[in-house]
Amino acid sequence: MPGKSPWKMAAAAAAIVLLASGCSGSSSDDAEALPNSISIGIVEPTSLIPSNVVETGGSQVLSSLFYPLVRFTDKSVPYAVAAQSITHDASNRVWTIRLKPGFTFSNGEPVTSDNYINAWNYGAYGPNGQLASYFFSRIQGFADLQSEDPDGKDGPLEAPEPKAKTLSGLRKINNTTFTVTLSAGFAGWETVMGYTAFYPLPKAAFESEGVLKKDFGEAPIGNGPFKIKGKWQHDQQVQVEKVADFKGTVPKVNGITWKIYQDLTTQYNDLVAGNLDVETQIPVESLPQASSDLGDRLLKSPSSSFDFVGFPLYDDKYKSPQVRRAISMAINRQEMTEQIFLGSVSPATAFVSPVLQGARKDTCKQNCEYNPVKARQMYNAAGGPREIKITYNADGGHKPWIDAMCNQIKSSLGVNCVGATVPKLTDLLAKVRAHEDVGMYRLAWSMDYPLMENYLGPLYTSDGSSNYGGYKNTTFDSLVRQGSEAATVQQATKLWQNAEDILAQDMPVLPLRFGQNVYGHSERVIDVSMDLFAIVDIYKIDIAS
Amino acid sequence: MSDLNAVTAAEAPGPAANRPRHGGSPAKPRSLAGDAWLDLRASKIFWVAAVLVVVILLMALWPSLFTSADPRACDLADKNAGAADGAPFGFDFQGCNVYARTVYGARDSLIVGLSATVIAGVIGLLVGLAAGYFGGWLDALLSRFVDVVLGVPFLLAAIVLANRLSNGQQDNGVLAVTLTLGLLGWTTSARVMRSAVIAAKGQDYVAAARMLGASPARQMFRHVLPNSIGPFLVVLTLLLGINIASESTLSYLGVGLKGDAISWGTAIAEAGPYVRTVAGPVVWPSVFLAVTVLAFIMLGDAIRDAFDPKLR
Amino acid sequence: MFRYIVRRLLQMVLTFFGATFLVYALMFANQDDPYQALAGERPLSESQRAALDAKFHFDDPFLVQYWHYVKGLLTGDLGMSLTQRPISAMLADAWPITIKLALLSVLIAAVIAISAGVLSGVRRGGVFDNVTLVVTLIVLALPIVVLAPLAQVIFGVQLGWFPVTVTRDAGLWDLLLPALVLGTLVIATELRVTRSSVAENMRADYVRTARAKGLTGKRVIGVHVLRNSLIPVITLIGVDIGALMSGAIVTEGVFNIPGVGYNLFRGIRTEDGPLVVGFVSVLVIVFLVINLIVDLLYAALDPRIRYE
Repeated sequence: MPGKSPWKMAAAAAAIVLLASGCSGSSSDDAEALPNSISIGIVEPTSLIPSNVVETGGSQVLSSLFYPLVRFTDKSVPYAVAAQSITHDASNRVWTIRLKPGFTFSNGEPVTSDNYINAWNYGAYGPNGQLASYFFSRIQGFADLQSEDPDGKDGPLEAPEPKAKTLSGLRKINNTTFTVTLSAGFAGWETVMGYTAFYPLPKAAFESEGVLKKDFGEAPIGNGPFKIKGKWQHDQQVQVEKVADFKGTVPKVNGITWKIYQDLTTQYNDLVAGNLDVETQIPVESLPQASSDLGDRLLKSPSSSFDFVGFPLYDDKYKSPQVRRAISMAINRQEMTEQIFLGSVSPATAFVSPVLQGARKDTCKQNCEYNPVKARQMYNAAGGPREIKITYNADGGHKPWIDAMCNQIKSSLGVNCVGATVPKLTDLLAKVRAHEDVGMYRLAWSMDYPLMENYLGPLYTSDGSSNYGGYKNTTFDSLVRQGSEAATVQQATKLWQNAEDILAQDMPVLPLRFGQNVYGHSERVIDVSMDLFAIVDIYKIDIAS
Repeated sequence: MSDLNAVTAAEAPGPAANRPRHGGSPAKPRSLAGDAWLDLRASKIFWVAAVLVVVILLMALWPSLFTSADPRACDLADKNAGAADGAPFGFDFQGCNVYARTVYGARDSLIVGLSATVIAGVIGLLVGLAAGYFGGWLDALLSRFVDVVLGVPFLLAAIVLANRLSNGQQDNGVLAVTLTLGLLGWTTSARVMRSAVIAAKGQDYVAAARMLGASPARQMFRHVLPNSIGPFLVVLTLLLGINIASESTLSYLGVGLKGDAISWGTAIAEAGPYVRTVAGPVVWPSVFLAVTVLAFIMLGDAIRDAFDPKLR
Repeated sequence: MFRYIVRRLLQMVLTFFGATFLVYALMFANQDDPYQALAGERPLSESQRAALDAKFHFDDPFLVQYWHYVKGLLTGDLGMSLTQRPISAMLADAWPITIKLALLSVLIAAVIAISAGVLSGVRRGGVFDNVTLVVTLIVLALPIVVLAPLAQVIFGVQLGWFPVTVTRDAGLWDLLLPALVLGTLVIATELRVTRSSVAENMRADYVRTARAKGLTGKRVIGVHVLRNSLIPVITLIGVDIGALMSGAIVTEGVFNIPGVGYNLFRGIRTEDGPLVVGFVSVLVIVFLVINLIVDLLYAALDPRIRYE
């Protein structure tokens, strides 16, 4: 060794690198695109088992592999798709679902009532730990499938086995008919069944009764118009190809490659460079260039997301509704959506997303109107805090608008305002739940099913699952509950509207923005449209001739 | 310098043998530091660097000397506006005065950069020197400790420190960021120091000093250290710049400075995505950062040259 | 020499467990609600938590959790990520591309840094020296969070010279742009250290001797000066290889490379302890091996250094 020159060593090192890189350069056949197929960008799904999917990446892929019971019109009214009919009794408790005959899974198995019942039982059974199990919680017998650790997290005892393994509310009538009994009447149940969690699973998915095959999620078999090609290639792509003679609506393209991206700006660059056909969410940073890069291929459509800032109602400084209203009036929502979000979102002056049936504009009235003079008067009269803090999670790119909001508050109210960060959303929620001094805090919501109730119940009822700030108003609670049990959707809507009016008075949160899908596509494809759940309509999309 | 070095220098073939300057009379030996100061005073580079450093330090201590604008007074109406009175660098996408924010950003950037570099430098110097000089089990222990620290992901340490150190609402994250960069950043300098010590230890003049009965401490600090510190100092001056810039990566990953803290790194990370729309908010903090690093590189070079006996 | 290597290999075992223990402890300290991170914004029910605890043991005390990990490791089972994927499969997916990227990057950086460093060290204060100084400063002052997206837009989208994103089985050309961007992290230090070492050694007596012997300038610099200047540079390169593997979070994100940096980032974000420790375990082995090689290279470069 001592005799060798450093250059020779360097050359040897270089040779090793080149060898190492060259050896594994073989490309797999999976990468070859099908003729007439398109690519759509997503984030890495957390799972591809229907009852375990709670984010858009997974929902998007599953929408191509499965055929839902109902889909929605532009006005978010459900219509039967895989179902022949969905009927209910007078109290909205017992729902009868008739399936269209002749449908099969992509492995050839016929789709029967059992496939739905088994899949839902699996999703609802507590020990399976499925993330979307809460969708089944309205079905009778759900509680019997759950079990809690009797002595808490740190105790020595393990959680006992739940009382039952199957939902007592699910009953098979015959191969194509089954009934769902809810624990309380609910007018919107048909709508709820449009969600990912309610897809059926084939017999081939199960190892034994109630036990899913270990790698089913790597290559799920569905009843949809596409079937998976090969396996889910983690962090890279999921390829799907058309099922031969599909009985339902047949999509126009022969295949879809769901390309997985870590970063939205990267995805945008790939779209502009022509390596990707659809990006479902164009990041704000790329918007200044987007209209010139994409022209009329840059599109917008309503989505269900709602961004707001919560008030810590447990904190005496924010107890007075006057203070909360004043802060709301100090904010110029229009300026924020235009300057910070470049028009990709719209200002929110209501509590229910305008995309829903029954939603009204401006329910928040003057409380959400920008009026710095009146805001300052009201704020000082009510003795609002001299220092306002807004806590947010640092990993979500919220700093620009929090800073802008603080700057507006500073100049409108003449008080100091700072944005404070916690690393992650869970840290933020934990602090709010523990009633720590976080000041105001940023939150967001997007709907699980297109009903007004979904924007009211979970967020503001006393026992709402996401009521972090501790808002409590018994009139509001009972209006929401009455709405859910009302005989018709119309009656329900009326009651929910009354409930929303209470929020506009109390201002438990500060509505800021309603989201939009801001998406773009390449010149190769046409008829790209997205629904309220931020999912691309895979039936409409087509290749440009 | 001691006569000893003058003697060994004559035979030492290795680099960095010490020799009295100007062949001065052995009766009146001048100290190394005294020699160095004479050299420094004559160096133009030293003076340019010193003036730059003083200006930057002034900026960090009294930013109001440089601008009367409030860096936190931002109005969306001024978004991306061009240069104006009192705002020679224009405005950023929040409508903040870029010049004022760059001037005010000097303080936290320098606190983070300098303290993290000092922490890393002290640990790196001691660990590298001890491991390289003593070798044996101590080297094994310290070097494997370096390997352990190298294995800790930067982001993980940053998150843990940010969580543990946040002392309530006024915390702007300077301490957490400084400690993250300092406590994880010393490994490179330690390994470089160790390598230089191992190389210097084998030189003849160290053997000569040992044979002449110099104590281990004297050998280490008077002979090995001055002859092996060169690469370490270079690594350290660059580490200063890397630390100031790394703060932007931490901001980008969501564990940088918090609240309404203003710094060059945060400014660069925040304005980065919009660089194609308006470049000023990225370019100016970068220029200040580059000039700061340049000043310290020049200062480091000048001082090293002054202390390097071979240049005499 | 042989005994030295054996001793180092034994030390590795201890270091390995030390490092995984430390990282496990840090993940544990950072852990407050790993399941919630999985579920997004909606709170999990007690029943779901119980089910997940039964699978992942996050409710156990720290030492018990670490013991579970070590036990699994000894039986060749690296455990399961919170996303329900076996860690061994994730490692096998992520490492090859990261190793390619890091080695290519280090190679490019080292070639540029050493050649430019030698040139500017030989003529200190010359035009070339000053130009490299300015370029170094620019590279240093433009953090990778700005540089990487900019390079992607200019060279990938607008000029179309390089692919915009890189897949798992990318070839050398595909990786060139990310490797260049990644290399800027380390090139400045390597270049300046080379330059200062070369400058220092140019003044050494043996160079004068070599010149006096009548050797050509090229030979003096290429053999005598460079060889004596390389020790600190090699040390740096050794540390950099590992640093570029774990530290490529931003670069891997921008170029959509599903490698080690991306997995570490995801694991830390979602408090996925098994995932992070799995990747760090391999990373520590890489560091240990590289540092051993570097230490052996010292002896090769400088005959006065001996390992007993």
